[in-house]
Amino acid sequence: MITTAKGRLGRIVPAVAIIGAGALLLAGCSSGSTSSAGGKGSEKFDYLGADTNTEISTVLTLMSKDQCSAENAAQPLSVGTTPGTGVDQKMQLLAGQNALPAISTASGTPSLMTQFVEAKKIVNITEALGDDSSNILPAAQSIISKLYGGTDSYVLPTEFNIEGIWYNKKIFADNGITVPETWDALVAASEKLEAAGVQPITADGKDGWPITRLIGNYIFRDQGADALQAVKDGKAKLTDAAYVKAADAVASLGQGGAFGPSVGSIDYNGMENAFLTGGAAMMYNGSWTLSNFNDPAQNTIGLENIAYMPFPAVTGGKGSIDDTPANIGIPVMLGQNAYGTNTQAWVKCIAKNYGDLALANGGVVSGFKVNTVPTDLPELTQVVQAKVAATTTATLWFEALFSPKQTTVSQTNAALLATGALTGEAFMQMVQDAGQ
Amino acid sequence: MIPVATALLDAPPTTQAQRRRSSRTLKSVLLSVPMKILIAVILIIEIYPLFWMLVSSFKTQAEFLGKPFWSFPADPQFVNYVNAFTVGEMGHYILNSAIVVFPSLALIILFGTAAGFALEVMVFKGRGFILMLFLAGILIPGQMILLPLFTIYFQTGLTGSLWPLIITYTATGMPLTVFFMATYFRSIPKEIFEASTLDGASIFRSFWSVGFPMVRNAVFTVALVQFFFLWNDLLIALTFTNSQSLQTIQVGLLNFTGNYGQVSYGPLFAAICVSVFGTLVIYLFLNQRVMKGLTAGSVKG
Amino acid sequence: MKSVLGDRRAILALLGPALLVYSLIILIPIFWSLGYTFFSGSIVSGFTPSGFDNFITFFKDPTAWTAIAFTVKYAVVLTVGQVVIGYAFALMYHFYLKRASAIIRTLVFFPVVLPTVAVALLFQQFFQSAPTTGPINGFLNSLGIASVDWFGHADSAFWVIVAMDIWRSMGFYAVLLYAGIVDIPDDIVESSRLDGASGWKLLRHIILPLSLPVLLSSVIFSINGTLKVFDSVLALTNGGPGSGTTPLTLYMYQTSFTYGDYGYGSTIALMLTILCLLVTIFIFRAQRRDLTKA
Repeated sequence: MITTAKGRLGRIVPAVAIIGAGALLLAGCSSGSTSSAGGKGSEKFDYLGADTNTEISTVLTLMSKDQCSAENAAQPLSVGTTPGTGVDQKMQLLAGQNALPAISTASGTPSLMTQFVEAKKIVNITEALGDDSSNILPAAQSIISKLYGGTDSYVLPTEFNIEGIWYNKKIFADNGITVPETWDALVAASEKLEAAGVQPITADGKDGWPITRLIGNYIFRDQGADALQAVKDGKAKLTDAAYVKAADAVASLGQGGAFGPSVGSIDYNGMENAFLTGGAAMMYNGSWTLSNFNDPAQNTIGLENIAYMPFPAVTGGKGSIDDTPANIGIPVMLGQNAYGTNTQAWVKCIAKNYGDLALANGGVVSGFKVNTVPTDLPELTQVVQAKVAATTTATLWFEALFSPKQTTVSQTNAALLATGALTGEAFMQMVQDAGQ
Repeated sequence: MIPVATALLDAPPTTQAQRRRSSRTLKSVLLSVPMKILIAVILIIEIYPLFWMLVSSFKTQAEFLGKPFWSFPADPQFVNYVNAFTVGEMGHYILNSAIVVFPSLALIILFGTAAGFALEVMVFKGRGFILMLFLAGILIPGQMILLPLFTIYFQTGLTGSLWPLIITYTATGMPLTVFFMATYFRSIPKEIFEASTLDGASIFRSFWSVGFPMVRNAVFTVALVQFFFLWNDLLIALTFTNSQSLQTIQVGLLNFTGNYGQVSYGPLFAAICVSVFGTLVIYLFLNQRVMKGLTAGSVKG
Repeated sequence: MKSVLGDRRAILALLGPALLVYSLIILIPIFWSLGYTFFSGSIVSGFTPSGFDNFITFFKDPTAWTAIAFTVKYAVVLTVGQVVIGYAFALMYHFYLKRASAIIRTLVFFPVVLPTVAVALLFQQFFQSAPTTGPINGFLNSLGIASVDWFGHADSAFWVIVAMDIWRSMGFYAVLLYAGIVDIPDDIVESSRLDGASGWKLLRHIILPLSLPVLLSSVIFSINGTLKVFDSVLALTNGGPGSGTTPLTLYMYQTSFTYGDYGYGSTIALMLTILCLLVTIFIFRAQRRDLTKA
């Protein structure tokens, strides 16, 4: 078990030398080494993935044996995992040592990814792919550009998810509710459901994002798809009345009891379980939840009773109900120092084959072009696949352009907003302040 | 002082006990009823969680989420244990933990006891300062050393093995161990060591054959306390392991949480039970000695 | 004789390994990290000197002050709780249970060995109000009181953390303090009993003063551990709701590794170390004074 592994870059400096150099001095210049693997790239095609996602490693392994066997012979795939909880920390530490592996889970925090891009720690994938960039769907590329800036891609979109509200058709029918197309109709529907003793919406308040997503979408519908970019550029503030309005809307929905009791104690499982056992009429979630829907052990209300509705419009708003909130999940990136011609060949092969394999293997809709759609997909998966293919304008989520601190502040305070412990103004003030 | 303590532990002086038993009045009998209830409550508070974990490890996901806390599984899911070991690879993580924790413990005890002996028994300038230096380690938050250590291990090429964990654990165990051992040695009369060296024994011999056996209980105590610190460590293991083949048991427990926060509770509890009942066996086995050690050597101001 | 106990080579051989590993792995990284307090930037984008900016930021940072307030409140409550309850157990072991105390001591000590992740899950379930009602709220309901959303408010979440950590550690302190009580010579207790002291009087005038040294050591041990509380908060509330239960350690960890500001993170850690140092010195002084009195 205990092996004295060789450093990935073979740069072995005795500890004595580091220590001798003096702590303060080192603090100032411990970054900035530029030794690069160059040439053919690292010896192995090392994949370091979050253990929370087994799909990517499965697909890569399948490829290495079939479509990409030639690339695998030149640079053999080697799969490693790291706990999902520590990914950001781990990738920062590795990047600080110029030791990001050939391919790895990207950080889920876009602003950290921007740092990687600016410090040239990760590969420009558009350049690496050249003509093969056409294998990345335009909608996926548009999200990547919005997230990291510029027109080039720095990640491989191994997932493509659309988000929206999933509702229980039976509960809607029993209570005489038609699918709400405006926010006001949604509020009215939830009041009606509550009066009938049904919990209108279930939300994972522990993780916070299913609540802040509502704020973000309200802003996009009301102020237009560029509203949060304007905040990032300093042209607007979250504390402006137009933005506070969105937080207030979600707060008043929650204060009415739409999210049920103790929303802060509900975790992701609790949310899924409440919806899939008929305990709540609606759930805001991404299309990755299809795997839960397709599992009869979890889904007791039946697939036929679940339907998707786009986030409702805001009356008089600048945004369109046709703008679809979407994301690329947690994609993968390529470490610059492990990159070379062998790695490039691998990436090209992945771009060509990932779309088909992911869909056929795990029913995962990715941001790569699909050449042949399998015929035996479950119905909801087909619906989502069609919706993804038809998506032209995608909107991001509330925290997409925030700093990590703002993201944390937003998601940890979401439940307080939804229970009325925080006003919309106080919430937006906290998030705005965290950005300074 | 120590012999007194140990003796007391094993057999409370009969004189006192007899006296109290003979003078037992109605009042004291009444007093003992609430006392018994109190003890029963304490037992429930301490034992129930264990029982709950065991029961939870046999539940299905739906039962865990939908049924009340105290309910029993309708159909015990032994498959949770299978999943914990196959999908969750617990066997592998337990092995890693053992490979890391036991050598670290051995080093902690050896180095710490030797240092404690040197600092209390031997005579040299600056021992007060060095003892304070070790003590200062108790004040430092562990999170502070992570980044520099990551750099050191990376530059020396130790990353990618279990050595970073063993080395870090050994070092983090030093302050408390040195402090405890120094306190134990302080309570042993110096004349004993002076006598043994007068008899011609080398200082190493006095340490190994005279000093070490005298603090044996203390060694067991420190070892056990450190064992639980290390076995339950998450922060250091999370930072310095970068591949699944190196993960320890506590990091392994995180593997049951998914991308968007979903948790597989059944297999998670099965894994926790395996981890807990494993340590429980060690705990019950060593307990007698530990209680003696803790009691005998205690931190005396 | 003196020369043998003062043999330099022997001292080096015995003390050397511990000192070496401790210096390399703990001391040097600490000074290294202290160096970062004068820099801004991140591990990824590199560091630039920033003078005393981090310290100025710290004193102006409201989140840091809330974290200090939480940390101190938690440390004081928990230290008092651990030591008082531990002492009560110790008295019970010695004066009521006597011989039978071994099994109880073992059981009460037992939670120390449980992994934090498991204990946190247990307490979450115990205190939860949704999706299913936990036993605590079930009990309240049976008394006609509505369920409390324990984790929805910083105040109530604080007490759940306190309850969890006291449950976990009381057995450890009980055994530690039991040692101090066992060490009190019996003849002193007996003679004061004959002088008519009993119950409360005996405890206050004889037992308490005599076990003062071990009590104060426990306080120092406890306060240094509790000021650095990390994993129990991380696992139970993750600092929430909002940042209502975020201690300095968690704020430091988030700042360094989630927000990518290592210089400021190190500054927070330094402040925490200073806090520990001040508290320890304060208690040491108080102890000295009390000892000379006693």
